Amino acid sequence: MSGVLAAHNITKAFPGVVALDDVSLELEAGEVHALIGENGAGKSTLISILSGATRPDAGQLFVRGQPVTIDSPATAKRYGITTIFQELSIQPWLDVTANVVLGNEPHLPGARQLLSASNAEAVARAALDRLGAHEISTGTPASRLSTGQKQLVEIARALTLGAPVIIMDEPTSSLPMRDTDRLLEIVAQLRDEGTTIVYISHRLDEVKKIADRVTVLRGGRNVATRPVGSTTTGQMIEQMTGRQVDNLYPPRSESVGEVVLRVEGLTRRNVFEDVSFEVRAGEILGVAGLIGAGRTEVMRAIYGADPLDAGRVELDGKPLSIRSPRDAISAGIAYLPEDRKDQGLVLLLSSRENMVMSTLDRFSPGGLLRGRRIRSVTTEVGRTLGVRGSLDRAVANLSGGNQQKVVIAKGLISNARVLIFDEPTRGVDVGAKYEVYTLIQELAAGGAAIILVSSELPEIMNVAHRVVVMSAGRIHAEYDHPDFSESRILSAAFAAFASTESAGVT
Amino acid sequence: MRATQTRTSSGPPVNTTTTSVGGIARQLKNLDLRQVGLPLVVVAMIVGFAFRSDVFMTTTNFQNVGLQAAALACVAFGQTFVLLTAGIDLSVGSTVALVSVVSAMGMRDHGVLVGLLFGLVAGLAVGVVNSLVITRLRVAPFIATLAMLSIAAGLALNMSGGTPVVGLPSEFTSLAYRRILGVPLPVIIALLVLVTAYGVLRVTRLGRYIYATGGNAEAARLSGINVRATTVSAYMVCSLLATFGGFILTARVASGQPTLGGDLALQSVAAVVLGGVSLFGGRGTVLGVAVGVIFVSILTNGLNLLNVSSYTQLMVIGAAMILAIAWDQYLSRKWRTRGDPG
Repeated sequence: MSGVLAAHNITKAFPGVVALDDVSLELEAGEVHALIGENGAGKSTLISILSGATRPDAGQLFVRGQPVTIDSPATAKRYGITTIFQELSIQPWLDVTANVVLGNEPHLPGARQLLSASNAEAVARAALDRLGAHEISTGTPASRLSTGQKQLVEIARALTLGAPVIIMDEPTSSLPMRDTDRLLEIVAQLRDEGTTIVYISHRLDEVKKIADRVTVLRGGRNVATRPVGSTTTGQMIEQMTGRQVDNLYPPRSESVGEVVLRVEGLTRRNVFEDVSFEVRAGEILGVAGLIGAGRTEVMRAIYGADPLDAGRVELDGKPLSIRSPRDAISAGIAYLPEDRKDQGLVLLLSSRENMVMSTLDRFSPGGLLRGRRIRSVTTEVGRTLGVRGSLDRAVANLSGGNQQKVVIAKGLISNARVLIFDEPTRGVDVGAKYEVYTLIQELAAGGAAIILVSSELPEIMNVAHRVVVMSAGRIHAEYDHPDFSESRILSAAFAAFASTESAGVT
Repeated sequence: MRATQTRTSSGPPVNTTTTSVGGIARQLKNLDLRQVGLPLVVVAMIVGFAFRSDVFMTTTNFQNVGLQAAALACVAFGQTFVLLTAGIDLSVGSTVALVSVVSAMGMRDHGVLVGLLFGLVAGLAVGVVNSLVITRLRVAPFIATLAMLSIAAGLALNMSGGTPVVGLPSEFTSLAYRRILGVPLPVIIALLVLVTAYGVLRVTRLGRYIYATGGNAEAARLSGINVRATTVSAYMVCSLLATFGGFILTARVASGQPTLGGDLALQSVAAVVLGGVSLFGGRGTVLGVAVGVIFVSILTNGLNLLNVSSYTQLMVIGAAMILAIAWDQYLSRKWRTRGDPG
């Protein structure tokens, strides 16, 4: 038992489900240990046990070989275990310094209640500098930081605690590409300085790049722990899903027809400018770019959720005037938002209720809901999409992939001819991703015009027929399917930041 | 601690409204403790009071409780609509006072029908102002209706000169004591309101929009729902039902009272929350609220019979609210850990 932190034979059951079943994990000093698995595999439960948020039913934790009981996050902190959750615990109204030293404020000598502002500032500055975050000024209100910067503040907080173990829960899931690279460098640096990092991620390419060892959980069991060097992405996926995965992507649909949606000169001041593109029936148009490039904002404006300052939207060659999502829906445009839980679904309502949410008019002539019709339509769509789980229960109970299917069902029921998918596979299991891609291809094959906004390059390159790349609010390049390449798309995505010379891709 | 505690984490597996016959069987199967807890307490309370007081279990007393509960019920059902949209209406008590004064003056001078019409206009005017201030000026509901509480109360006092408006036609005041098959008319009105409100929330488009708006306003908007219009409807329904409550109370006291309904804001929110409606919106039913109303009314009545002072009653109701919400929090914590195993 030489590890910094070890968990032996951990079991944890919740009513109706065994979240962890006899799981053991050993963490060595100075390693990056990736923890992967599908949603519901037990990753969250395991880290919440390691971080003191949940107590196991059985099993034992060890810190440096000594058996310990970690019964609260405060205890975990004492043992030097810090967790950076996906939903960052930043206090938006406090400044950077206050956030970095939160819970560990330097005080004046002999007076625990009197904070020492200068010490706090020095501590925060030192921690940020150690991360190379020189551009973050300590006096800035945290609300003004980007997501990536907020994450650095949290890491800086862990550093001030001198935590030998840092657990990171999907740290890159909402980070722009550049910040992702920076985060990976910092993780490597911390590792080299002797910190142990538990790295939870859905992105296997990152795991391959950064981790020393990887543990795969499936159905609450530890399926394998091995050095990353001796495993392949394919093997990891097989272990996560428990079945052979031959293809990550279904074949592209083939029947591309007439132009359905054409937008010209879309502009929203300070957000995006002069955006023009078209999508054909049966075509999947990928929209690539860094987070913050304005992709989501353009889509929301087309959908009428945000105002436009200038530009035209045409459907089948006829100009449209869309002032609200309602107008867009009746014109046949559906938008499937990137954030299912905050924008796509009403979690407390059932799957059925969510599916017909945008088309209730059709199901309630005279204002009275037609329960039987709603039932039959949603049952049929649920079957078509393969939604697993009861349609009558709150949609919150479904897995990420199934929730995404409910969002897609909304689009299907509205008979939309243009479907805008914004990050459709974020938080969706590897196995369920394939199903989502298949659905998208089938919709395209059925004649729908599809826009796919995605930050995952492999997804864009393997699903879309054509891709436009946005950078800093403008479209910087457009490529057809055989001409895609990761480096081309990336350089266009960075075009607005690079010299004018390398931006010359059109 | 995670930053988000309440709404975005996967909530309790509420068995939501499906409109089919088979739904009842499913509901029974998924019955959660929140739905049986309060009815059990009510039954226990009835048994307790029956032992302690001779008059409690008499028909007359129950008619009395019903009469007292009827106005609160109307107001609480209206409050339910607002709370479901994640709002709150603190002005219901003053609305009742305003309606009472205005309708009494109308009746005294122009007859019953005109008086009722005046009252209706006054009550709905409060709703219009609330809705506009909240949806157009974007003032938070708590503040907007708190201000309206003050404005409507001041208006009622001004119009009446601070004294009761008397001289109401007896054909109106007698309505409060009319009985149909032994059931007081106000109780029948409250029951009709209950059935209608239940139907509206369960099987109409408006009802579904109200749940969606309160459950997740952004998702509702992106679904093409007119969130603003839905919010307006909820406040209008609330004011309309507060107006009904005002009529019932005015008939009972046979005068226009500028101080009527002072406790109603507190009691209606208490009944609604006790009845299982979430303060964060999107969850709860009007049936639960009915149980909440019965709870508050029986508690008040029983304590009266036991000669507990009305001052002490205020304390008891406050304590009951805290207990009910703490219990609700405890249950949702249990559900949350259960619903979030990954």
